[in-house]
Amino acid sequence: MEELRKEMENLKDQITAVRKTFQDSTLQEAAAGVTVVGRVQLKTRKTLRGHLAKIYAMHWGTDSTLCVSASQDGKLIVWDTITTNKVNAIPLKSSWVMTCAYAPSGNLVACGGLDNMCSIYNLKGKDGNVKVMRELAAHTGYLSCCRFLSDTEIITSSGDCTCVLWDIETGTQKMVFAGHQGDAMSLGVSPDFKFFISGACDFTAKLWDIREAECRQTFGGHESDINAIGFFPNGNAVITGSDDATCKLYDLRADQELLTYQDPSIMCGVTSLAPSKSGRLLLAGHDDFNVNIWDMLKAERVGVLAGHDNRVSCIGVSSDGMACCTGSWDSFLKIWN
Amino acid sequence: MGEVERASHRAADMDEWDVPQMKKEVESLKYQLAFKREKSSKTVTDLVKWIEDGVPEDPFLNPELMKSNPWVEKGKCVLL
Repeated sequence: MEELRKEMENLKDQITAVRKTFQDSTLQEAAAGVTVVGRVQLKTRKTLRGHLAKIYAMHWGTDSTLCVSASQDGKLIVWDTITTNKVNAIPLKSSWVMTCAYAPSGNLVACGGLDNMCSIYNLKGKDGNVKVMRELAAHTGYLSCCRFLSDTEIITSSGDCTCVLWDIETGTQKMVFAGHQGDAMSLGVSPDFKFFISGACDFTAKLWDIREAECRQTFGGHESDINAIGFFPNGNAVITGSDDATCKLYDLRADQELLTYQDPSIMCGVTSLAPSKSGRLLLAGHDDFNVNIWDMLKAERVGVLAGHDNRVSCIGVSSDGMACCTGSWDSFLKIWN
Repeated sequence: MGEVERASHRAADMDEWDVPQMKKEVESLKYQLAFKREKSSKTVTDLVKWIEDGVPEDPFLNPELMKSNPWVEKGKCVLL
């Protein structure tokens, strides 16, 4: 037991040492010749009204027009963000929902929360009614996040500290990703669908190889729970947002922490994040009702989205990069560009 | 109706881990140590280049790309 503990500490020290040997430059140095972007001002173009309680999650469809949102009012709503029409309003068995996801195909949506389950809904059923297609149950803690790989596979993260890859057709667990020492709060899938990242209450982010079911890399540095995580658009870096009020950028290829996005005036935890299409901008939602916009290369704040009357709980940028959607505890979603 | 609370907590302190858990963590750390890293001088240069190449196509940084903005009504009125 004591030997194993020593071996663990020894390996961690070795990883720290190896990382140093590959750190022959910094992002600050590489971006030294780059000018900070000018002030970024996005306007609210649409307000999506309809939920009757706090919104906990939203996710864009791949068509950059539809999105799905989940609220404590016990509903999943699929919105046409351009017309603001509700395409579907799906009543949930459990109103304690914490996450939702849109399948890349547009055929399915998923959600889950304190019921410890991930429920899959078919939007394109024969008779036009949206019904529960599967209930994925095995987690022993709340469902914090879920993301589809396809219509047949979905990945979930849970308060039981694990992430799971599910076979939707059989409703069974294909792989369990264990290793976090605290609630897994958020996950993101790589653009090539080969990897996913998870952020947890153990203050670390982990990169997982989906098919090998192994943790490839672990990133520390945050001083509190990681609530939000996302891949940089080209899949070569990871962005995290934490209760410590900062966001961080980690380089996957060099296995290094690159930058911290922080300001003494920002004291509220980060709830959600999304990069812009080029990765030059980082939009981060906070407990203080605002979204901060950062120049990712210069680590300078270049804009603020102020418009919600309560915590911003979720944020997403459409895949064509044309619009940002924010969801809030004030029960509204807003579309900005 | 109460709040959706999440008690953020750390799983069992490592002091409470049993031998199989520690063995798994040791194996995981060995696997993580073996990862084939690249020099950051190369990777950060590539990152900066990738971003700069993409900036001209980023709608949030180029007002011209937002000239036909689907979320902005073109006509004077919209029939509801």
